[in-house]
Amino acid sequence: MPAETIRFTLDGREVAVTAEPAEPLANLLREACGIQGVRVACSRAVCGACTILVDGEPAASCAMFAYQAEGRAVETVAGLSQPGQALHPLQEAFARHAAFQCGTCTAGFLMLAKALLARHPEPDRATIAEWLSSNICRCTGYGAIIAAVEEAAAMMRAEKMA
Amino acid sequence: MDGLQVVGRSVRRTDAAEKLTGRATFTTDIALPGMLHAKLLRSPHAHALIRRVDASRARAAPGVHAVLTRDEVPPGLMAVYGYFIKDQPIVATDRVRHVGDVVAAVAAETEAQAVHALSLIAVEYESLPVAASIEAALAADAPELFPEAPVGVVPAYGEGARGALRPARNVCFEFGYRMGDHSAFAGCDHVFADEFRFSRMWHFHLEPFVSVAHARPDGIEIWSSNQNPFPLRKEIARIFRVPENAITIRVPFVGGGFGSKNNCKTEPAAVLLSMLSGRPVRLALTMEEGFLTNTQHAAILRLRTGVMADGRLVARQSEVLLDAGAYSDASPLVAEKAGYRVAGPYRWQHVDSLCRCVMTNTAPAGPFRGFGGTQANWASESQVDMIARRLGLDPFEMRRRNLIALHEPFMPGESGVDSDLLEGLEVVVRELHRPAREDGRRRGVGFAVGFKDGGGVNKPAQARVKVSTSGDIYLGCGTIEIGQGARTALPQVVAEILGAPAHRVRALPVDTDHTPFDQGTNASSGIAVMGQAVQRAATAVRDQVLAFAAGQLGCDAAELRLEDWHILRGNERLPLAPMVMRHFGGTGFEFTADGFFKPEADHHAPLEARCVYWEIGWAAAQVAVDEGTGQVTVEQLVVAGDAGRAINPLLCKGQDEGSAVMGFGQAMFETMRFDAQGNLLNGEPLLYRVPLAEDLPGRLVAITLEQGHGPGPFGAKGLGEGAMLPVAPAIANAVQDATGARVTELPISPERVLRALDAAKTTPGHDAIQPERTPA
Repeated sequence: MPAETIRFTLDGREVAVTAEPAEPLANLLREACGIQGVRVACSRAVCGACTILVDGEPAASCAMFAYQAEGRAVETVAGLSQPGQALHPLQEAFARHAAFQCGTCTAGFLMLAKALLARHPEPDRATIAEWLSSNICRCTGYGAIIAAVEEAAAMMRAEKMA
Repeated sequence: MDGLQVVGRSVRRTDAAEKLTGRATFTTDIALPGMLHAKLLRSPHAHALIRRVDASRARAAPGVHAVLTRDEVPPGLMAVYGYFIKDQPIVATDRVRHVGDVVAAVAAETEAQAVHALSLIAVEYESLPVAASIEAALAADAPELFPEAPVGVVPAYGEGARGALRPARNVCFEFGYRMGDHSAFAGCDHVFADEFRFSRMWHFHLEPFVSVAHARPDGIEIWSSNQNPFPLRKEIARIFRVPENAITIRVPFVGGGFGSKNNCKTEPAAVLLSMLSGRPVRLALTMEEGFLTNTQHAAILRLRTGVMADGRLVARQSEVLLDAGAYSDASPLVAEKAGYRVAGPYRWQHVDSLCRCVMTNTAPAGPFRGFGGTQANWASESQVDMIARRLGLDPFEMRRRNLIALHEPFMPGESGVDSDLLEGLEVVVRELHRPAREDGRRRGVGFAVGFKDGGGVNKPAQARVKVSTSGDIYLGCGTIEIGQGARTALPQVVAEILGAPAHRVRALPVDTDHTPFDQGTNASSGIAVMGQAVQRAATAVRDQVLAFAAGQLGCDAAELRLEDWHILRGNERLPLAPMVMRHFGGTGFEFTADGFFKPEADHHAPLEARCVYWEIGWAAAQVAVDEGTGQVTVEQLVVAGDAGRAINPLLCKGQDEGSAVMGFGQAMFETMRFDAQGNLLNGEPLLYRVPLAEDLPGRLVAITLEQGHGPGPFGAKGLGEGAMLPVAPAIANAVQDATGARVTELPISPERVLRALDAAKTTPGHDAIQPERTPA
């Protein structure tokens, strides 16, 4: 298949990337766009390690074609916070609760949680567990991740009030 | 209170910024100029002879730089690997022994080209009969996986223990341990024989098996997702006949392992493809390939246990059969541990254990969190509970009467158990809430004590600490950051000893050229074994600094203390940097010291060295059982581990929680299903079910005890495996408490619960004393 130019918004910036349209979007993001934080684990849209947001919706980038990014707004872990600046409240809460261990699933959970909090700014525990169940963490046992999301939600609500 | 400044605090993980911003580097991120991508051709047959391999079309395929089949293995190489037994070929030579066995490999410009080239390799197989389970492999007419004996060794054992290679057909190794006299059975009031089955899990580490190898004229460079770079270096040196100092192994962050990333996986094939192509080669397996590469050991465990009427345990004879899969891998070591640990943490007059590794035409089994201890605890903690109920005793009281006391040796010649086992059990049982709801389901409570020797056997560790002129601290040690937080906790130990804030210590990247030697990141040894080497290195550096300062100040070092790179003398607080530069010149100096730790070899100890520490986990579970469907709901799960001293309490809790949830997965649903022809039926992420956030027990509590008896820094012990050990038996014990039905096979599926409920109904008085069944 001939390479084509795919234009989309990546973490707030317009990009034009040449890629084979049928290449997985995760590969495009990792290789052509240099976003190492998009991690591919199962390659089967099951584990959610490669979760990104496409027009605000969580998506498994391992199971999307590159062309599907055309014209969309793609958000990755690389856009959550800027180098040298404060971490995103979710990142900060994950750090405080040690809501990660090996780090393979982490970016996926952060992006999933970002979408969750955009939809449900005040989620109860059951809602958090339901949302987080679309991704797999083999290290933490989830308790720390759930606690971090709860805390980030509170922090983000407080920021909004301020 | 204890005067500690850094140890005992939940300081932020040192890898937080890198991992949370997505900038942490794992082996899967390594890319070298000119790097090729490799893929493996795998056998579709569980057992077959290879009649012909024709890779000529693959060699001519676009982008292909190297093809590896049995014909490309350089003559004279012993192209097999394994721990005690070298039986696993880099690529199959005469036969394949499991579905997924590696037959050929291709390195090409792109992964897609490599995959395409594999499809052009013609392999002619001649099918052989398949032995896909322990029973099938031990049957009289079973096909033999290794008609010729591979090269192997038996490790040295101390009193009571023994090992043997190939004691029977399709058995690669057996471990035996005997203590006391068999006549002890004769004095028992009751002897109970029970059989337990343990299912096989997959590690489900999210980072795949991956390595990048670059074989240059002057040496071999390897980046690998491997938890044991030094043993890997030794194995690569042996296989390829190169000096160890011509091999450099680099290990960046490792994305989870749970045991699977010990020893060779992708590395030998990547090295060979790099040798053949002259280019760096990346070999990354898919998750589906991971399922076929390394697994836990399924097991059949037969226990025959003699007791007195008052519940005193007297004698235990056990036979443990481990499903080793197609290659020995770590099976002999796992057998040693399963065989040794199956007695459980109880006082015995007589123990007679036999554990055999049975070769089957399934994926090779190897190290898995718990390492034989999970199997042993499943059987032992189930049976102790069953015996209590048969004798009409409270299972808690039964354990109280038999548990080994603090400091009492596990076995003759062994070290004393360094946890108060009863205290931990009381803690988890007390933490359970009384179940509130009444909805027609039966509810019950169960508990178990998880027990294993921790820290490996006779395991040495080396570490290096250095401090720059300005007081910046380096820690060099081979403990891999695989998620456990070693690169946060070990620097805390250094900081504490040097009187520095934690953030001043940097743990250096690991490579085999510069990092002090270490046998590997396994056996929950990071804190209790490596921690002692780190502690000694830091202490030696501190003493150097104080001696230097004493010389400069013309006083006794005993008058001085070190605090944040200042010397404290009485009320004075003197900065060290100017003192160092005055003496060593403007660019200064680095204070450097090495630390070494190894348990002493001891021929009286059964495993040739006394256990460094005992890794303990306690669990209490409260379940609700729907007797109509057999569905078990774990409403509460409380686990505890003994950290001895928690270097970083938050990380300790994380280890225990993660470990408990893995045990919960094993108890409730995780299992690899092979058919009789050796096909793995659920070897993909969608079909192999691991716990999700929604699956968690309604209430999950992980308690970190600090009983203070550990040998590690500041009384620390290891964690990470202990909390997994008691979970499955605690849940099975709770099911019996709720219903009277006993499940003896994992996972505790609704079907098995229904069958056990039926059996309990047809065997009235199930809880009463039963006569001994046919002994094993």
